[in-house]
Amino acid sequence: MNRTAKVDFLKVDSAGLSSVIQIGDSTHIYALNRAIAVQRQHELFYSHEGNFNRFGIFSYALPIPSIDEPITIQSTALQPMIKVGSIDVIGISSTAILHIGNSKYIQGEARTLHIRQLETAEKNEETEIDQTAEVE
Amino acid sequence: MIFEVVNRELCVGAIRVTGISSSSLLMVGDTNSIQLTSLFDTPPESLIIGPFVPLTPGG
Repeated sequence: MNRTAKVDFLKVDSAGLSSVIQIGDSTHIYALNRAIAVQRQHELFYSHEGNFNRFGIFSYALPIPSIDEPITIQSTALQPMIKVGSIDVIGISSTAILHIGNSKYIQGEARTLHIRQLETAEKNEETEIDQTAEVE
Repeated sequence: MIFEVVNRELCVGAIRVTGISSSSLLMVGDTNSIQLTSLFDTPPESLIIGPFVPLTPGG
């Protein structure tokens, strides 16, 4: 038997990047987020770049265990309510799920590739010299 | 396998969370199955030292 969730107060400041806020029951939730996070030493953004197919992390098969095990679940709800006074969340992001209510299957997948681009070593040395010159 | 659950009274005052991120779940309720995966990769070749060239264009 499913229980009823009762939340008196909910506050979420931000939700983004394939995240879900679900109030009420659901049967299936599948959320997917793919991200190439590029950090450059200087502020530089090319709008049309990056290809998920070029990086193995985005096609790597997940070692997810199968959910067809024969399990008999006997659940007894002596109190048919889950009571929560307040929920205060600052941010939900990248395939995160905030769920109030019951569900059956919840699946989430987040893949992030982190790339850092730095300037060449010689250029860095030059910058350092410039900075010292300014200080003097 | 027989899995027996007895749900008694559950009453929570306040939940304060800074962030829910990368395949995480905050749930008030019951569910049958949850499968959450998160992959984060920063391989050695992801540190590029050199001129700022754009990544492979999207296609």
